[in-house]
Amino acid sequence: MTGLQKTPLYDEHVALGGKMVPFAGFEMPVQYKNGALKEYTFVREGGAGLFDITHMGQVRVTGAGALAFLQYVTTNDVSNLIEGQVQYSALLNEAGTFIDDITTYKISDTEYYLCINAANRHKDVAHLQAHAERFDACTVDESDDTTLLALQGAAAQAALQPLVDTDLESIGYYKFARVNVHGTPGIVSRTGYTGEDGFEIYIPNSIAVDVWTQLLAGGAEPIGLAARDMLRTEMGYALYGHEISDAVTPVEAKLMWITKLDKGDFIGKQAVADRKAAGPQKRLIALKLTGRGIPREHYAVFVDGEKSGEITSGMHSPMAGGVALAYVKPEHAESGELSVEIRGKQVAAERTTLPFVRSNVRR
Amino acid sequence: MTIPADLKYTKEHEWVRIDGDTATFGISDHAQEALGDIVFVELPEIGRTIDAGEAYAVVESVKAVSDVYAPVAGEVIEVNEALESEPEHVNTDPYGSGWIAKVNIGDGQVELLTDDEYTTFLEE
Repeated sequence: MTGLQKTPLYDEHVALGGKMVPFAGFEMPVQYKNGALKEYTFVREGGAGLFDITHMGQVRVTGAGALAFLQYVTTNDVSNLIEGQVQYSALLNEAGTFIDDITTYKISDTEYYLCINAANRHKDVAHLQAHAERFDACTVDESDDTTLLALQGAAAQAALQPLVDTDLESIGYYKFARVNVHGTPGIVSRTGYTGEDGFEIYIPNSIAVDVWTQLLAGGAEPIGLAARDMLRTEMGYALYGHEISDAVTPVEAKLMWITKLDKGDFIGKQAVADRKAAGPQKRLIALKLTGRGIPREHYAVFVDGEKSGEITSGMHSPMAGGVALAYVKPEHAESGELSVEIRGKQVAAERTTLPFVRSNVRR
Repeated sequence: MTIPADLKYTKEHEWVRIDGDTATFGISDHAQEALGDIVFVELPEIGRTIDAGEAYAVVESVKAVSDVYAPVAGEVIEVNEALESEPEHVNTDPYGSGWIAKVNIGDGQVELLTDDEYTTFLEE
């Protein structure tokens, strides 16, 4: 696998039996020696699952114009953020479709921190820099220097507490603190992509191996990409390249809750407003198979015998069975007999609500 | 990894146990390990006639869908229905309770390897 980046934890993954695969330009562990199902179960059933998500990117935004800049390039209302708060948001292009989905961390009135998707990093950074020039704002891509770990599951707080100098109990859901991790400054947020309580931990690469090793010694277990995707799909969380892309707007993707049309001008606003007025071209639904099989990405979805759309993410959920997110024609979002074509056969399905399994995040 | 001496193997990582007119099919230990956790098995219908080398079943792991090919031709006479609710047998006991189907042997077979030949094939 040439031309792929390795995170500072590469050797740890290999030593733990990690099966390394190419992912967003990195060699990442898809699973470790116990397999994806056991990893999934460990996170869902009270453990502390440790994920290396260093492939994700980080951009620091500073300057007197940082707020005005972020109001213009992101969809959510950054003026609502308080210091120490995290916000789910998106970058759109002028057509109102997604460049990326991101999280915005407010450090101060003049300093913010963005977490972006690995596959979109260079595109995002170029987009941000191109617009920062118009504002008194400076963007710095810190991705190469930053290790990002996620520690997820009911035992996450107890496993992380010994390594940090801040009482984690004081960090609420979608809040963060600048803390010393293993004696070195970092950021810890109560956020995640699993539907369990847990944290995301931003640290310099220099302490990555020490922190990883100490968390494992404290009872955490490593979790690969396959289990991570199972956990996020069960929550119905959107993933770039699947539910969201540069082919859909927040209107189709059910992400108008992070798109604040009343906050002033931002890139893509007019296009989204127009789409909202005209109605979506397709709609995202959650479905569950009632027949046997596993609904998978790109499988065709039929309504009343007519092809209506396709699956964007699908899986066998140990708790909920065959579940999937799919785009269908707007008129099929709420009614009509659903089926999924699996190897040429129609398998019956029904609409359901998200999340597919109960979320245990701390609200 | 185990490769029992009393079975024959294919280059597609299936095994076959030939017992008189009957052949039992499954996937090898190597195959189940490479696929990871099996979460779904689509079994053939009883009475179906399959050619040697034809895809007769599907196994799905957490991330992948894989066809399973028949080592020898035949008519399906029995399928391992337990796999419908407990597909994990393919992982935990690939040569035993993880068997997939039995056929009444017909005409034709793909290249079958002995245990030693399969071991050598895996090493190459």
